[in-house]
Amino acid sequence: MSVEHILGLLQLPPVQRAVLAVAIAGAIFPIAGVWIIGLNIVPVRFAMMHVALLGIAIGVLLNLDPTMTGVALCGLTGAILSPLARRPAGLAGPMGLVMTLAIALALLILSISGVNANGAFELLWGAILATRMRDVINLAVVAIIIAAIYLRWRRELALLLYDREIALVSGIHVDRLTQLLMVVIAVAIGSAVRLTGALLVDSITILPALAARNLGRSLKEMIFWAVGIGLFGNLLGFGLTLLFNQPPGPVLVITVSLITLLTYFIRRQ
Amino acid sequence: MDETHINNLSPQAAHLQFDAVICAFGSLRVVDDVNLEIHPGEHVALIGSNGSGKTTLLRAILGLHPLSAGQIKLDFTSALSAAEWNSRRSRIAWMPQRQSTGQFPLLVHELLASSSSPESALLHAQELGIESLLNRPLHSLSGGQLQRAFLARALGSLDGGAGLLLADEPTAALDFDGQVKVAEVLRGLSATVLVVTHDRAMAERCQRVMEMAGGRLREVRA
Repeated sequence: MSVEHILGLLQLPPVQRAVLAVAIAGAIFPIAGVWIIGLNIVPVRFAMMHVALLGIAIGVLLNLDPTMTGVALCGLTGAILSPLARRPAGLAGPMGLVMTLAIALALLILSISGVNANGAFELLWGAILATRMRDVINLAVVAIIIAAIYLRWRRELALLLYDREIALVSGIHVDRLTQLLMVVIAVAIGSAVRLTGALLVDSITILPALAARNLGRSLKEMIFWAVGIGLFGNLLGFGLTLLFNQPPGPVLVITVSLITLLTYFIRRQ
Repeated sequence: MDETHINNLSPQAAHLQFDAVICAFGSLRVVDDVNLEIHPGEHVALIGSNGSGKTTLLRAILGLHPLSAGQIKLDFTSALSAAEWNSRRSRIAWMPQRQSTGQFPLLVHELLASSSSPESALLHAQELGIESLLNRPLHSLSGGQLQRAFLARALGSLDGGAGLLLADEPTAALDFDGQVKVAEVLRGLSATVLVVTHDRAMAERCQRVMEMAGGRLREVRA
């Protein structure tokens, strides 16, 4: 496939919306990935993928917009789980419970509603070229919220992600800030899962953040690297998807994974 | 308390009182019926074997460990609500025993900026000889460097209005010269000081020495 062909594809509105969505999410959602790593709640994304499916099932049952019910349920679950994030044992155990319970409830609800479960699961895998403008706007709103939280509370975040107790004795409202982060992380994952599929969630959140941890010596540097790698890696991956006419999820993850792998060899001391 | 100390007493030095304090991990009482009054400007060393409850007692003052019973009053006031705890913590400078829980990066100057008086904390960092480390992440520091960074932060907080210093084994990772220097710095403070230590020289510089054993407190030297 030639470059001219790709340029031709980029003239198509669905492809343009997809590029926009990848650019927005790729640039800003890695900030949430840095929070996930800092709070040591990596399992949260697995759980939220399943909660998003439950939300979609509820939306189907109640004849509501499945995207919005999925995102809303993720946000609610994040808020409910945030008290557990401060425990020394972390969220690994509760997340396993949430994951299993959510998938069981989702299957039950889909069975009751009479909807083909495969259809709902396809929603979960995402369809980047089926991105609607309202999905792009949804992503942009979440991205603005993520960026605003970082810019407003970056000093507090640096302390909280380093050590919750140091943050607490420094006068930071640790519980409120953790709850806010949990809700936003959950909403971001819910939005991205619905839009771009389960695989892409890692390529726009965790993977750039992991790479950034190898390169950044402070929260500010980590955010810089996470945003750069997230934007570059995901746009490059999407370009390769078009170039080789392959499914976007795996190509994006492989591209960003290779970049992340590279950072393990050049990590700063 | 000696006369020199009374004359140098900081107007912000805090009064600390423990009334029948009990702290537990599950059914195990690690602090058991502790009663103690520390007057403004007084320096008290808390000694005792590992696991005797010293650190838990310090953490309870900050609300980092819940009380099972009793009260801890700072300047004759208990803390119950989140706002009251925040107010209390703003009156306390803390040097934790375990200074880092993870590998997430925080630079030395970012730590100092979390002090009540960041400018003052920077000056203390210079005095303690760590000014060249300001742009280093905390996890890359040695134990001794880390303790100096946390001491500079705590001293900045005292300059910024805190009246009580809680120091948990502040000299544990320092070389001999460093131990002496830090002990002298702490001795020169006009704030109230409660220091957990296994360092005999540090304890000797305090006006009172209390020993914890099995969660119980007794006075060793007045």
